[in-house]
Amino acid sequence: MAGTTTTVGRSFPRMEGRAKVTGRAEYVYNLRLPNMLHAKACRSTISHGRIRSIDTSAAEATPGVHHVVTGADICKVLPEPFYGPAFHDQPILALEKVRHYGEPIAVVLAADPHVAELAAQRIVVDYEELPAVFDEVEAMTSDVIVHEELKPAGTFADLKHLAGKRDTNLALDYHLRHGDADKAFAEADRVFEHTFSTQQTMHTPFEPMIAIADVRNSAATVYTSTQSPSFVRYELARLLGWPESSVRVKTSHLGGGFGAKVYVKTEALALALSMIAHRPVRLALTMEEQFYTITKHPSTFRIASAVDKNGKVTARKCEVWWNGGAYADIGPRVTQKSGFTAAGPYNIDNVSIDSYALYTNRPPAGALRGFGIPQLVWAYESHTDIIAREMGIDPVDFRKRNILRNGRMQAVGTVVKDGEFEAILDELAKRMDWDKPFDRGSGTVRRGRGVAIGFKASISPTTSSAIVAVNADGSCIVYCSTVDMGQGSDTAMAQIASEVLDIPMEKIRVVNPDTDVTPYDMSTLGSRSTFHMGHAVRLAAADAREKLLALAKEIGLPEGHNTPVPELFVRKFGMSAGAIIGSANYIPDFTPPNYSTGQSPNATPFWMSGATGVEVEVDTETGQMRILRMINVCDIGKAINPVVVETQISGAAVMQLGFTVSEEMVIENGQLTNPSLADYRIPGIFDMPSVMESGFVAADQQNGPFGAKGVGESGTFGVSPAIANAIEDAVGVRITKMPIKAEAIYRALCVKQGRELSDD
Amino acid sequence: MKPFGLAEPASLKDAIAMIGDADSGVRPIAGGSALMLMMKPGILQPETLVSLRGIEPRYSSIETAGDGGLFIGAMTTLRRMELSADVARHAPVVTQALRRLSNVRVRNIATLGGHLAHGDPHLDLPPVLIALRAKVHIAGRDGERQIDVEDLFRSYLETSLDSGELITGVTVPAQGNRKSAYIKHTTRSADDWPALGLAVSFSLDGDVLRDVRAAIGAATDIPQRLKSVETALEGKRAADALQGAGDAAAAEAQVHSDARGSAAYKRELIRVFTGRVIRKAMESAAGGTI
Ligand SMILES: Cc1cc2nc3c(=O)[nH]c(=O)nc-3n(C[C@H](O)[C@H](O)[C@H](O)COP(=O)(O)OP(=O)(O)OC[C@H]3O[C@@H](n4cnc5c(N)ncnc54)[C@H](O)[C@@H]3O)c2cc1C
Repeated sequence: MAGTTTTVGRSFPRMEGRAKVTGRAEYVYNLRLPNMLHAKACRSTISHGRIRSIDTSAAEATPGVHHVVTGADICKVLPEPFYGPAFHDQPILALEKVRHYGEPIAVVLAADPHVAELAAQRIVVDYEELPAVFDEVEAMTSDVIVHEELKPAGTFADLKHLAGKRDTNLALDYHLRHGDADKAFAEADRVFEHTFSTQQTMHTPFEPMIAIADVRNSAATVYTSTQSPSFVRYELARLLGWPESSVRVKTSHLGGGFGAKVYVKTEALALALSMIAHRPVRLALTMEEQFYTITKHPSTFRIASAVDKNGKVTARKCEVWWNGGAYADIGPRVTQKSGFTAAGPYNIDNVSIDSYALYTNRPPAGALRGFGIPQLVWAYESHTDIIAREMGIDPVDFRKRNILRNGRMQAVGTVVKDGEFEAILDELAKRMDWDKPFDRGSGTVRRGRGVAIGFKASISPTTSSAIVAVNADGSCIVYCSTVDMGQGSDTAMAQIASEVLDIPMEKIRVVNPDTDVTPYDMSTLGSRSTFHMGHAVRLAAADAREKLLALAKEIGLPEGHNTPVPELFVRKFGMSAGAIIGSANYIPDFTPPNYSTGQSPNATPFWMSGATGVEVEVDTETGQMRILRMINVCDIGKAINPVVVETQISGAAVMQLGFTVSEEMVIENGQLTNPSLADYRIPGIFDMPSVMESGFVAADQQNGPFGAKGVGESGTFGVSPAIANAIEDAVGVRITKMPIKAEAIYRALCVKQGRELSDD
Repeated sequence: MKPFGLAEPASLKDAIAMIGDADSGVRPIAGGSALMLMMKPGILQPETLVSLRGIEPRYSSIETAGDGGLFIGAMTTLRRMELSADVARHAPVVTQALRRLSNVRVRNIATLGGHLAHGDPHLDLPPVLIALRAKVHIAGRDGERQIDVEDLFRSYLETSLDSGELITGVTVPAQGNRKSAYIKHTTRSADDWPALGLAVSFSLDGDVLRDVRAAIGAATDIPQRLKSVETALEGKRAADALQGAGDAAAAEAQVHSDARGSAAYKRELIRVFTGRVIRKAMESAAGGTI
């Protein structure tokens, strides 16, 4: 499908770039509607408890307050006010119980946002506090139960069996069995086992979540900063019992998403509030409130390998516990769809994976750039490195002895095609001069280097639809519900339409998602848009091209004519009028996995992979670590727009760097202590590696549009373990818990020197 | 954030007249960078802010005395100080500290007066100014007074300013041949508020240290002198006294565990960085370099 192209494969500047840097781009956060009310939530100050009473009298008495709304009021307009993509477990406002710190309990509506804020502070909630569970492993056996009963959504066939299950925090268990791991462990020369964990972090999109709902005359319009307009429409229509045609969801450019804005976040609450107020209602979260809304799963991963004396991994056992927080969101999908890659990009004959989605009393966790993969790679690539070092085998060599090559079957039962795992590892080793001697530092400053590689299967099956219209003047409009949240998708879609229709880029417009206008798309997530929507746009453009050919034939032009497009319209319609509409749906082939073995011969349309190498310097007197050089090499298929691909790789790596060394949501005594950018530290310019390189291996994804595949997450995969591996290389200590803070390194160094630092 | 009134007096005198008592709901505002962080989450809800931007230009100027002493007006922005050739010549350690103080957007608006009056221990300049023996100029309804910078800080976010008093400026005495250095150490991200700030200043008599001033910020409740370090170094050769000074500092500083590190770890950092800041000062040219 590659062939020669003219527009695809070129680094066109981003279509919205100028509007963004000149401050003229539209964001929902800046939208104001006439007669609009502002909503401000009163949120739980405890992590788990029964609500005895909510005293709203002082809030109601505040001059300027229009309404004070509680969960009970929501039930009057939406009798079943529970939402969620996998489980219908999340109440729009807390009902009877609160399950996490920061959960919304009541909302004040006022024309003046300051009044709403002030009044919200005057709401008094009386709780009967309950014991809480915060750790994912404890949640497996804890007496603390977060939800009395499981309520799977029914959207996913493989969750149906969970309906009605009681008194468990286990939202979903996923199991994969490939070969006979027990037998291989019994026969192994060496066995290694380690446990790794990751912390809770947040996406920190700089445009916080926002929805403005306007319900009138049995129709709802919701303006929202969402990655999933089609799902929001579906879910709101379901809550309302209305046809989807009565719910209109519009979005603009997003000031970042990273998975925070998938599925329903602020929209259901905004909708209910507008129904109560009979006016448009704006629900705009602050940065702080985002920490209470959606986060990245903390995780614990116990991993064991059986290895023969030649350094071949013969079996792997993986047990992963995912801390989904108080509401499932899309967590169960992470458990499963990412879970099956938990053994790493290696050719291992015997694999056993158990992956568990747990409810706890933390703020909910969902998708965050990598959909669980970075947590898995952290563990399996740390583990792999430890084995290589303990066996005295070079870490790159050890990985190459075991790497999964094209044509081999991955543990899920699917044969790998177009997965350049070995090639990116080779390219990384080459760029790092891995074979050359390395300056290891001296005195109190020691240097080391490390590599790591991770992979991901595109989530399947998902559908994208697109419309491509050719106007009478020969210009073109692309209608699709892929949301450009900074990843450059509008530009890529325009390039694809331009390529197929041979229409120049400047005559193409990509419409912002609007469910009354742009057709269905599963969501903008999981690096799926270039592949899935890319195909849909390509096919829709091809459909339009066929119709243009048919039109030419109809007006009597010979084949191979060179009449300009506007001329065709004039000849057909007597003037510059009419339009040619091409459309297409795209869904890749897929075979669902067997429930008991997890096996599927066709689990994914494409594989993504990323490898990271770092050189670090560690100050042995303080534990402080500095990254001197970071190289990220990804399998990118064929780049539709190479510059955009490069920034996706570096952006993903920097984001994961923050999760690796500094970002951490801290819960103490049931309270989140650092929900602000002052205390939750994301990396700044001085935290960047001194040298940073992005590399690709370009190899056609044969079933992809023009050979392309997704690349939005691949840069995150290897970052965390590469850093831990380099630290061990530098100073001989192994960090198994993220984030890797200087103090953790320093403490490990103390232990190594046989002196324990006190805990105070 | 709760709406508030804004007054913009044209003179220091008018400003002082407006601010009144501590609990009157009236608050001076300089750059507003610290105030806004407290007002946004509602920790502070003043009725009226009295902006000091319009007061006499003298309070946003930098003046040099003949002997090399400096007067820096309270309304001088941190960025102006950072770029000032006079500051770089006479107190280069200040210039150097400023370059790693937050980011340029904050330095463009934050002022020296606000920086000191805020009373947050996690600030970079207080230990530097203490080590340089700087004085704070204060004006109130009853006139003016001067105190040592170290006497400004009472407890967490609390200063010895009386209600109705404003900081008008800081004088840094002539440093002559004294050597000084400051080390800022962060543990969460590079541009974070410091987890530890250590400043030292001394004269060299041959290779013997004299008139040592050492100060700590961020790790302790208030920025303060480290007198045991001063004693450990006084009259010694640096090479002989580094270890003892580090141990003394770690023992003297009262530190607590918090998000920037455990108390035990901070004591280790204090020990290590005390040695490093002294070495850094030794390596600087007379009066310091930048
Ligand atoms: C994101 C961020 C990061 C930062 N990082 C650092 C850092 O790394 N290191 C560091 O040292 N600092 C840092 N700062 C703090 C910065 O230096 C302070 O915000 C600044 O010093 C306060 O100055 P201001 O002029 O903005 O004060 P304002 O916010 O205007 O005022 C602060 C306080 O002082 C009072 N006040 C102001 N002027 C006077 C006066 N003349 N007399 C009496 N009272 C007065 C105000 O009423 C208020 O209580 C950071 C700030 C921000 C916002």
